[in-house]
Amino acid sequence: MNAFSTRRARAVVVALAAGSLALTGCTSGSSTNNDKAQTDKDAAAQAKAVPLGTAKDSTGPAPEVKGARKGGTIRVYQRDSYNHLDPAQMYVSDQRDLAKLIFRGLTTYKQDDDGKTTLVGDLATDSGTTTDKGKTWKYTLKDNIKFADGKPITSADMRHSIERMYAKFITDGPMYVQQWLSGEGTTYRKALPDGPYKGKHLPDSVLETPNDKTIIFHFKQPQPQLPYALAMAGHSVVPDSKKDTKDKYDVDPVCSGPYMIADFKSGKSMKLKRNPYWDPKTDSARHQYVDGFNITFNHQASDSTKRLISDQGEAKNAVSFTNSVEPTLTRQALDDKSASKRLVQGYQPYVWQMNMNMDRIKDKKIRDAITYALPNGQIVRINGGSYGGEIAGGLLAPTVAGYKKGYDPYGKLKHPNGEPEKAKKLLKEAGKVGMKLVYAYSNTEIRQKEAVAIETALNEAGFDVQKKEVDAASWYQQMGKVDNGFDIYMTGWGQDWADASTVIPPSYDGSTIQDGSSNYSHIRDQHVTDEVKRISQITDPAKAADEWQKLHFYIVEKVNPAAPVFYTKMLQLYGSNIGGARYNTDINYLDPTTLYLKK
Amino acid sequence: MTTLTKTEDAAAPTGADPFLSVRDLYVRFSTEDGIVKAVDGLSFDLERGKTLGIVGESGSGKSVTNLAVLGLHNPRATEIKGEILLEGQELTGAREKTLEKLRGNKMAMIFQDALTALSPYYTVGRQIAEPFMKHTGASKREGRQRAIEMLAKVGIPQPNLRVDDYPHQFSGGMRQRAMIAMALVCNPALLIADEPTTALDVTVQAQILDLLKDLQQEFGSAIILITHDLGVVANTADDLLVMYAGRAVERGTVKEILTEPRHPYTWGLLSSMPRLTSDVTELLHPIPGTPPSLLSPPTGCPFHPRCTFKAEVGGTRCADERPPLAPGRASACHLTAEQKQTFFIEQIKPRLG
Amino acid sequence: MLPFLFRRTLGALVILFLLTTFTFFVFFAAGDPAQMSCGKNCTADNIALIHQNLGLDKPITTQYWDFLVGIFTGRNFSVGHCPAPCFGYSFATKQQVWATLLDRLPTTASLAIGGAVVFLTVGLATGLLAAWKRGTFVDKTFTSVSMVLSSAQIYILGPIVMGIFVYSGLLESPRYVDFTSGPAAWGAGLLIPWLVMATIFTAQYTRMSRSTMVEQLQEEHVRTAKAKGMSGRYVFLRYAWRGSLIPIVTILGMDLGSLFGGAMITEYTFQLAGLGRLAITSVTTLDLPMILGVLIFSSALILLFNIIVDATYAFIDPRVRLS
Repeated sequence: MNAFSTRRARAVVVALAAGSLALTGCTSGSSTNNDKAQTDKDAAAQAKAVPLGTAKDSTGPAPEVKGARKGGTIRVYQRDSYNHLDPAQMYVSDQRDLAKLIFRGLTTYKQDDDGKTTLVGDLATDSGTTTDKGKTWKYTLKDNIKFADGKPITSADMRHSIERMYAKFITDGPMYVQQWLSGEGTTYRKALPDGPYKGKHLPDSVLETPNDKTIIFHFKQPQPQLPYALAMAGHSVVPDSKKDTKDKYDVDPVCSGPYMIADFKSGKSMKLKRNPYWDPKTDSARHQYVDGFNITFNHQASDSTKRLISDQGEAKNAVSFTNSVEPTLTRQALDDKSASKRLVQGYQPYVWQMNMNMDRIKDKKIRDAITYALPNGQIVRINGGSYGGEIAGGLLAPTVAGYKKGYDPYGKLKHPNGEPEKAKKLLKEAGKVGMKLVYAYSNTEIRQKEAVAIETALNEAGFDVQKKEVDAASWYQQMGKVDNGFDIYMTGWGQDWADASTVIPPSYDGSTIQDGSSNYSHIRDQHVTDEVKRISQITDPAKAADEWQKLHFYIVEKVNPAAPVFYTKMLQLYGSNIGGARYNTDINYLDPTTLYLKK
Repeated sequence: MTTLTKTEDAAAPTGADPFLSVRDLYVRFSTEDGIVKAVDGLSFDLERGKTLGIVGESGSGKSVTNLAVLGLHNPRATEIKGEILLEGQELTGAREKTLEKLRGNKMAMIFQDALTALSPYYTVGRQIAEPFMKHTGASKREGRQRAIEMLAKVGIPQPNLRVDDYPHQFSGGMRQRAMIAMALVCNPALLIADEPTTALDVTVQAQILDLLKDLQQEFGSAIILITHDLGVVANTADDLLVMYAGRAVERGTVKEILTEPRHPYTWGLLSSMPRLTSDVTELLHPIPGTPPSLLSPPTGCPFHPRCTFKAEVGGTRCADERPPLAPGRASACHLTAEQKQTFFIEQIKPRLG
Repeated sequence: MLPFLFRRTLGALVILFLLTTFTFFVFFAAGDPAQMSCGKNCTADNIALIHQNLGLDKPITTQYWDFLVGIFTGRNFSVGHCPAPCFGYSFATKQQVWATLLDRLPTTASLAIGGAVVFLTVGLATGLLAAWKRGTFVDKTFTSVSMVLSSAQIYILGPIVMGIFVYSGLLESPRYVDFTSGPAAWGAGLLIPWLVMATIFTAQYTRMSRSTMVEQLQEEHVRTAKAKGMSGRYVFLRYAWRGSLIPIVTILGMDLGSLFGGAMITEYTFQLAGLGRLAITSVTTLDLPMILGVLIFSSALILLFNIIVDATYAFIDPRVRLS
């Protein structure tokens, strides 16, 4: 998934919602009969590697949703307005949600009724074919695929969509494909500094479009993850025409999904209507049941939750794409006879971890002591209890392939409130009892509450915690500095897709360390770096998942750069007239593509 | 508590049916600290066409008495007892509507500081015309005409222009004149002037007093002139009432009181007044002490704590017994008539020069 | 009077300029907006590129100068031309700041004006009545009710009212409908926010108009008017009330100024997209051009209301007018 949302979740969003979140600790933390919070048993389906689908899997139309009917407009309560409409700038969760409805790319995810997910061809006839273990990938476009203006989608448009991501104005979206094609970091931009806008293109040896229907990617190294990367919203199709207005495209894009933007008032509302040129026969993953979506912004979680619990008037036909049930109202939603039947829930892809700055805490015994001492259970309660999160035993989320259920080397599940004695013993062995520990946390209410619990627990284990409050808006900027001056600090990271390659390399590969990098604990371990390089070349996703899992165990047990704290979860409500509601394991929110109105 | 057994007897034997007659007036305010006995059994009479001066220190009840005559006290916080008869009409306890018809019409008041007593928001002309229109039913135009006429009468130059000015555009003296014009606009039979010249410089003071006198002659009004300045009453008033702590302590004609005062308080007042004729090296003799609190006035003679002659009375009589004020020329003091004469001639008069 | 207003306007412009300068440097020094959009790509290279795209790579003095000049002459951005008065494009939404401000103003202004009509009418009426009946049961009731209400808060009262009327389906959600597309819909959409906002402000105006009236009734010129034989009601309404207007207008000017600048909590509580909401969003997203725009715009409105208040003083008080 994406760090952007994590960053924002921390920096902005949580800052606003935190007030009420903090209150939930005592209400939904304890479990009662009504508690059906999803545990990692249910997550098993998400934790396997997503298989690559065949041409048959990729052929539309999508299987009908049982009982679905056409017509009507769904009301959507959203908190934040969409700041990007240019797909190449999209990385945030709520944008990905919107992208599902209005954009299409070469590949996408198809989820069956049992929650089993397959990666299928979207605009392409299949999930991609490679004959050389991932160095070359070939995609063929389906027939009758069109933009919302009626213009057919061709391989030139696909090439354009990739090439424009080299242009300087595209800075916010994913970079995987560009980097794989043309170079690490931001060096890829040199291959096409102005994007395709001045008539230059990537050579055929890199990106080839032999005809209108075919696009071929040529990589220097095998890139077995390409089909997954291409499913990201950021790689949706943009027309190779005057309608690509570069910077301005971000406010006026050309749609290709089942819906198109009828009206957008930034910061206020958005109306989606049917895209008449979307052909269900070309799309195996989406539906177009309702006539449109009427989205309004500025609805805090408390507002959308209350509206949906009350289920009066237009709220019957309403959902929120990305607002969760306000944690203080979780109990009310579960106890409400009607509302309790209108819930969807699932894992979010984020893992919160307590980074231990390895430039400053070099002794693993001390890091282990911290890990043992942390009161994960209390932190989960502060974050909304069992519906908001789950105690983490490792650093891979239940949504990532390679996640092992019950993996808990530091006994966090058995001892949710930490083991101060064990920690103290380790600290004594390290000869560091009373050690000063500079602990940074951001100045949002929820983080402040956590800080109190964490400080108490660590002090009990024999540390001398020095709390440092940091401005939430610049939190990640400050933590991202190599020389940040802190010993421990919590960060959250989410996958980009269900593969550990989008988690372990960015977070634990020592070769990436620089200001702004996401290796927050500054782990520099040659074995990890070597393994990252090796596993990245494994073309079989299942085999790669096994290898990642082993590396993950190594990192957690042998290095322990960051103490696992909790996995995040999502609980959402929908109106009583909404049908087809389910949890989407790709976007990790309510699935917007299967919704219909019952009457 | 003082022994309030005996109050002042009816005064003023000069006429059978005086124009204004105040009898046994009590005015009490209830405040957070307690009850303020602002006027404590006061009686006086006033003849038509005459001027009564009321002198006393601030807080002696001069203004309170006269506001009671006009009925301007807040009825919720004030208790008024006694009689106020204006041409035989009872004003205490009269209905607000009745009083409204009398105020500004039959009885009017000139206040001390015209700057604060005139509304800053309306023109002088409007403020003069208002009571005229209200009481005579005159139109706006007539009201304005009358205001110009009145301004001319009180000596404002270019009255037809100044009528549209606001009070702050007038000088202090002119404002006071405008105020007088406002009070006289309905030819009131009773005019109460509360320190009308205190805020003015001396030359203007004289002009204003002259003006009052002239107007009195023209309209035949009765005037109550409230002042703490004996010099002001000397040339203006006919009769004089000296007040202390809400009571009258001496009464008589101006001439009687100024030449032959009979109350130690009056002596004090006179002694503390500078004279043009006196030697600059000569010291003034202020009254020792401060005016009493009206929340709990002294027992007996209210002046006794400050009185230098109380030993002459003997015993604790001054502290125990309230001296009565006899009718007519009288003073409320336990000293005998001889003592009063002797002390005045021997001790006080020399000081006055 | 005119020279006075001219001087005040000039003064206001100087204040605006200083405020702009101050905010520009403080906010531009405070945080890095690139951090809000770099996502997982927060490497030095990418941050530098975002800076370049946002124009943040230039020296801050140059940026400041461009900003100032742009206000008067307009500027060209890669996203398009931004005509004067140009406050730039939002980093977050790519919308023109000025256009966004103008778009949000009607919501905020409608809230402010409607709310003010309600709280002024009710507040002054109850305050006058309490002053007229001072010391009585009516006065004590009004005074104590307003004491209670004035300690209420929109963020507490708002959700309660929302719960009773909106979530229950009794009334429609508060929303802004343009006045031109139907005054009835406009009023119906904002009724709840008006009433909630007015409830809290009313209390303040009740108390203030009562106390200033009681104070005015002690004034000597009010006594003079009574001594002239003017009726109690006439004195109350013409003399005392006129004098009590100055403090009321002063507070009203301040309230309107800040309400026009954006009723943050009200807008937040009722999901209305006005200037207050815009201010919150732009601050939390470090949207510098928008922060500057909202701040300058709101300050200008506050200063404008100050000038209007001054002009109103002159209207009310001839001493001001004629000096």
